[in-house]
Amino acid sequence: MTTRPNGVANDIRTVADAPQVAIEPEPAAAITDLETRHLSRKVAGRVLVQDVSVQVLAGEILAIVGPSGAGKSSFLRLLNRLDEPTSGTVLLKSQDYRSITPRELRRRVGMVMQTAYLFPGTIAANIAFGPYQCGKMLAPAQIEGLLERVGLPGLADRDVSNLSGGEAQRVALARTLANEPEVLLLDEPTSALDEASVSGIEKLILGIVRERRMMCLIVTHNRTQAERLAGRTMVMQAGRLAAIGPTEQVLHAG
Amino acid sequence: MLAELQNSIGDDVLTGLAQAGGAIALCAAVVALCRWQSVHVEREAVVSMARGLVQMVLVGLVLALLLHGRLLIGCLILFMMAIAAAITAAQRLKGMAGALPLCFWSIAAGAGTVIAAMLATRSLRPDISMLVPVGSMIIANAMNACAQAIERLRAEILAHVGQIEAGLSLGAEPAVTVAPYLQSAVYASLLPRLDMMKSLGLVWIPGVMAGMVVSGISPVYAGIYQFIIVAMILAASGITGLVATVLMRSRAFSAAAQLTIRSAETMASSRASGQAR
Repeated sequence: MTTRPNGVANDIRTVADAPQVAIEPEPAAAITDLETRHLSRKVAGRVLVQDVSVQVLAGEILAIVGPSGAGKSSFLRLLNRLDEPTSGTVLLKSQDYRSITPRELRRRVGMVMQTAYLFPGTIAANIAFGPYQCGKMLAPAQIEGLLERVGLPGLADRDVSNLSGGEAQRVALARTLANEPEVLLLDEPTSALDEASVSGIEKLILGIVRERRMMCLIVTHNRTQAERLAGRTMVMQAGRLAAIGPTEQVLHAG
Repeated sequence: MLAELQNSIGDDVLTGLAQAGGAIALCAAVVALCRWQSVHVEREAVVSMARGLVQMVLVGLVLALLLHGRLLIGCLILFMMAIAAAITAAQRLKGMAGALPLCFWSIAAGAGTVIAAMLATRSLRPDISMLVPVGSMIIANAMNACAQAIERLRAEILAHVGQIEAGLSLGAEPAVTVAPYLQSAVYASLLPRLDMMKSLGLVWIPGVMAGMVVSGISPVYAGIYQFIIVAMILAASGITGLVATVLMRSRAFSAAAQLTIRSAETMASSRASGQAR
């Protein structure tokens, strides 16, 4: 069962509504850019993600919210195949992602983690890392362009050990964008940042997703952040998709 | 054969056992001292010493029996030693599937290559009395190098899961993401052997040289030969460390380039992913 991303007001589901049904009729001609089909993952008998089917369109931000241990990050990790689903699959532009090599898939489905995890060295080396893995050398001007885009102009030669949390997260974002991904996965990218940095990163995400027409899924604990960023929100509980729909309605559905 | 065995058990064996008793008494005193400082190694010390003594007496008996045996028997003894070494080293990788073959092939590659090279260059005589003692030294050091390399690599991977997965998420080859940790693991496994080489003759005069001098061989030649042995130990350790870390790297990732030794949770997941594929 899937839910179209451009479903409207009533396209909200809850666990109590089982069997889950999208209330709004699905538009027949919707183009599917990213689709999960009955995605599940169990580890040692424990369910991390259970039968999650969603769709995301280009230019859309989908927030993933839910209590700790609900399977939000586990779900995100399945999307770029950092973990393997025990059943179900993901379609990227209608292509089963298992038919794409993991390295190509991860370039197309970029991920920014909760912690920046920068590699020792300069900011420039970090940004050039991804393209270099597929034989592309980024020109200094391209690196500078990415740094300008994330609000860190002129810092290419700075060592990453001297960065603040917010700066490091911006570099992590630029490093992911250097691969020109079609999908951007954000796993609580602002949870370790102060309020000023959060606001800056949020503006950055909104701007980049709009200008590049990317699909973006963001895991967040912060419901107001979901409201600020995402057109739609999905709620996860105990590994299951509990509700999905327009952010305001999902978050205020009680 | 029995006559050889009887000849080897003479007065010197009784003297040796008496001396071993003295050594055990000194160790017991140290254990008591440790206990006084609340360092409890009593059980381990008793078991280790009992095992060590029994094993060495048995090895002596076997050597006495086989001293003039065929080269093939010597090779078989070394093979058994390599298996025992692999079992010991594999205990550092509890919970990891395929740890025993990983350790065996690493030790066999390191020790085997070096022993073959020594035989080919005639720096090792192809008879049991020479092959087994020298071979065992090389295997023992290969075992230590293997254990140190895999333990260090595992610890490095577990300490850098975030960086490794960040690299994977950017489309890097698994080998690229763990390259710095593999290098530091091999280096760490070689460090004791490099120190051993540096301190050769200054801090210690190893047993082979001492034995050769006692048996009347030129001290200069004995010194050179001891250097050869330590150099071969270093070479065997290097090969073992490299092979062990490369084999472990291949086991650290699934076919879909997912890190599988991230934690106990991920260990289980790699089995699940195998089923999924």
